[in-house]
Amino acid sequence: MAETAKTYGLIAEFETPADTMHAAERVRDAGYQKWDVFSPFPIHGMDKAMGMKNSKVGWFSFLGGATGYTTGMLMIWFMNAIDYPLVVGGKPMFSPFGAFPVAYEMTILLGAFGAILGMMFLNRLPRLHHPLLKHGRFSLVTHDRFFVVIETSDPKYSELEIRKLLEAAGSKRIEVVEE
Amino acid sequence: MAQIASNLKIHPVPVELERPALIQNQRNVGWISDRVAEIVEGKTPTWWWCAFVPSFLAMTMLLAMMTYQISTGVGVWGNNHPVAWGWDIINFVWWIGIGHAGTLISAILFLLRQRWRTAVNRAAEAMTIFAVMCAGIYPAMHVGRVWFDWWLFPFPNANGPIWPQFRSPLMWDVFAVSTYFTVSVLFWYVGLVPDLAVLRDRAKTKVRKFIYGFFALGWTGANRHWSNYEKAYLILAGLSTPLVLSVHSIVSLDFAVSQVPGWHTTIFPPYFVAGAVFSGFGMVLTLLIPLRKILKLEDLITMRHIELICKVTLATGSIVGYAYGMEVFIAWYSGNPYERFAFLNRAVGPYWWGYWTMIICNVVIPQLFWFKKIRNNLFIVFIMSIFVNIGMWFERFVIIVISLHREFLPGNWGYYRPTIVDILTYIGTFGLFFTFFLLFLRFLPMIAISEVKGVAVQADPHHPLGGAKAGGHH
Amino acid sequence: MSSHTPSATPPPLDLSKWQKVPTLLIAIGGLLAFLGAFVNVKQFGYSWLLAFMFFLSFCLGALFLVLVHHIFDASWSVPIRRFVEHIACLAPVMAVLFIPIALLAGKLYPWMSSDPLHDHALKAKLPLFTAPMFYIVSAICFTSWWFFSSKLRYWSLKQDETGSAECTFKMRRLAATGVFVFAITLSLGAVMWMKALQHEWFSTMYAVYYFAGSVWMTLATVYLIAYLLKRQGPLKDVVHETQFYFIGSLLFAFTVFYAYIHFSQYFIIWNGNMPEETFWYILREKGSWWDVGMILIFGHFFLPFLLLLRIDAKLSWVMAPIAVWAWLMHFIDLSYNVMPIWHPEGFVLHWMDLACIAFMAGVVIKVFLKSFAAHPPYPQQDPRFSEAMGVYIAPIIVPLESKPSGHRAK
Repeated sequence: MAETAKTYGLIAEFETPADTMHAAERVRDAGYQKWDVFSPFPIHGMDKAMGMKNSKVGWFSFLGGATGYTTGMLMIWFMNAIDYPLVVGGKPMFSPFGAFPVAYEMTILLGAFGAILGMMFLNRLPRLHHPLLKHGRFSLVTHDRFFVVIETSDPKYSELEIRKLLEAAGSKRIEVVEE
Repeated sequence: MAQIASNLKIHPVPVELERPALIQNQRNVGWISDRVAEIVEGKTPTWWWCAFVPSFLAMTMLLAMMTYQISTGVGVWGNNHPVAWGWDIINFVWWIGIGHAGTLISAILFLLRQRWRTAVNRAAEAMTIFAVMCAGIYPAMHVGRVWFDWWLFPFPNANGPIWPQFRSPLMWDVFAVSTYFTVSVLFWYVGLVPDLAVLRDRAKTKVRKFIYGFFALGWTGANRHWSNYEKAYLILAGLSTPLVLSVHSIVSLDFAVSQVPGWHTTIFPPYFVAGAVFSGFGMVLTLLIPLRKILKLEDLITMRHIELICKVTLATGSIVGYAYGMEVFIAWYSGNPYERFAFLNRAVGPYWWGYWTMIICNVVIPQLFWFKKIRNNLFIVFIMSIFVNIGMWFERFVIIVISLHREFLPGNWGYYRPTIVDILTYIGTFGLFFTFFLLFLRFLPMIAISEVKGVAVQADPHHPLGGAKAGGHH
Repeated sequence: MSSHTPSATPPPLDLSKWQKVPTLLIAIGGLLAFLGAFVNVKQFGYSWLLAFMFFLSFCLGALFLVLVHHIFDASWSVPIRRFVEHIACLAPVMAVLFIPIALLAGKLYPWMSSDPLHDHALKAKLPLFTAPMFYIVSAICFTSWWFFSSKLRYWSLKQDETGSAECTFKMRRLAATGVFVFAITLSLGAVMWMKALQHEWFSTMYAVYYFAGSVWMTLATVYLIAYLLKRQGPLKDVVHETQFYFIGSLLFAFTVFYAYIHFSQYFIIWNGNMPEETFWYILREKGSWWDVGMILIFGHFFLPFLLLLRIDAKLSWVMAPIAVWAWLMHFIDLSYNVMPIWHPEGFVLHWMDLACIAFMAGVVIKVFLKSFAAHPPYPQQDPRFSEAMGVYIAPIIVPLESKPSGHRAK
């Protein structure tokens, strides 16, 4: 990794969520694409400040839940009414009522899987390596500092412009992150 | 923040109604990491060993009892005709009920936007998981031949097409409890990820950095991640809420779908859920009151938290009281002699002491929580929380043993006593619970660091302490 | 970060044409109902009972919302609390509307005319199921609802003037005792007035079932009223997205809760399969009552559930149709409880049902509008009002000299 030492991007440190939010609004308005805000906790209203759309995780979960419910109902119908019918308690071989509790639990189980796997997929996690994690100051992101990072892969990337922008936003410490 | 019309008159809050801050002494965001992570990073304290060694020994005893039971048979327990469900199912329901408070705090209070939950949810969720582990032992063991437990799951097998019978509430239990355990663990883990990253970034040794880093999944705190993360968390909360309701409802159906007097009653599902939450909150108090003292977390788990937990306990205790009353009323109202006898037998039969312990502990004692003086006296609250635990144990005793020991035919009546194996197994589950809980305290952050930071005033970009300039935002 | 600024509210609707509607409803509904009483007194009685239970749902649902507001020390619901208090204060009106039921009780409730010596199910319920007790219980119910609703409104109005914390504490104490009394009286009302139509049948869940449906419909109505009052002006500045979002979420929660309660009741009886319980549902599976049951499953639960599932649905246009739908579903649900003993062959929408509903709707709307006009539209000086508006005065940044007590930072 040491031979080419490519630049990953520019990192600007902030001390309060309000400053970070204003910086994010400026970066958003300047039209950058490949950038992100890093914070120790989710900041309320940051999604809007960054111009992000609503998360898609819900769809994964909905899909999981629907699969779970259908699987549960079909499974019970097949097992108790088709493949191995057994008369119990004078009840029909298959009734949506009798099958409901289990189908319901499966809805929740697969819905939860959908939510978690969907989140991991959308976030491209797990990843065991990230250029930022090597950056010295960045470990404060889980403590009490906030960072705005603009990547070199951004089409509008220009170190000078970005430095100016982020300095104007109130960052006292802007550094280069290496790949 | 909604824009406020300028002509609106807004009066200041009277002093006596000001809400106390969720984090005392204006601690800043960094302090929260330090305080919580120190518990995990410091030297193992003496008290921890003093608690761990007996817990571990008790867990060993549990293993011994299980080995004895498996090798000998269910006969080593007190279960017999006519009380075929004894301490095994009592303890199963008791433990799983305790677990419900964790899910309630983490999921339902989250949906209700009760921000105070952040200080207690991690420990309560851990409590849930370990309580469900203790609970799960019993149904697995009580089948007698545990090596056939896998028959409970719909695996294809070589004996021709033989499948589980899904009209049985015991099958519903299998799915409910295993789903509950899985989802609780996942929910807990998702909540832990950002905090594991905190520990990773603070780690001094390579080994710690690797282990915490491995489980932190490469979390960077990127807002694009937080966005999906928060959505997933919200959905998990949304799924866990009906899940927690369904789990204890299904547990209640184990009884309610039968025809046993005292078991077959329509209010059982919500009544069981309320009781479960009630007992769980009792356990949360029992655990947290000493912990906040020993671990010096008074600024994070404040008196306001304790008071609020007391109030939830009071509310659920009252709902349980309503259900007890309704049961008795409808037993009378129905005119069914067996129903009537079942309730009379509870109150004045040979197990009258069980019934009245239940009433006093679950209905009478929690009413003391109406008084602020009592809610603010930690010693009394602690003692009361133990009564809640006892009371809810007796509730299951009343439902299971008292209903079964005198059913329809007097010729079938009997008297149930637990054996020493029952008792030691039960004590052993405490060993299991506390062993895991203590390990959790030692190796994982017991307070959700990033969530508590999120409710601090310093985290609010519209608050002056969050950096907002005077005179509004934008 | 709300974009719901006051300017975003659509202009007020022109409601001048509608002003006569309550009077018309009272006149036409009242006349038809009155005639109906002579045409077929039993049909009139059941129609009246159905309409009564329907409007009682609003009154009790609203009382519940006020009680829990105080018990939970909630803040978001402050701006909507006043009109909910007015709905709760309809209790005396409901007591007056109860008179025809009281008069016709002997005809409506089969147990009243049956002999306890031959009817075991009735004999078991002595002395509760005797005519005097029926009236005593009814009186107790109305008195306690009147007491708690009017007391809570009294202190709430008092606070408009004084703004003192004492009023809040008074209301809190009232709510704390009130919620117990509420639980017991609502249960008694549901049992004595509705479940007793088939007194042989029993279910511990029944009162909760009536409660769940009532609060569900009340929430839908509260949403609609809050929307209208915002649009027409009185609540323009104080009801924001937060309030709508929370009412919508509660409505969603109660959609699920109602389904949970009714499913549990049905499911346990279905599984237990004991004739002494199943006959109640068997009656309701005959004729078109079966279809009504299906409508309840899909219309009372699935449809609102799916519509409300999305987070943003709670702020969208679907809420108004859902509110109207909720009235319809709750009406059908109550009909499913009341009517099968009178129309065992199937669901009948009788003109007298509509007449009674119209009459009571007129009365209730008139009284409500009158109380609403007589008092400030929202709690003026509630201590939680600033919090509800999202304006918080954080204790620590307030300069000490502007506040008398120095211990506030602690």
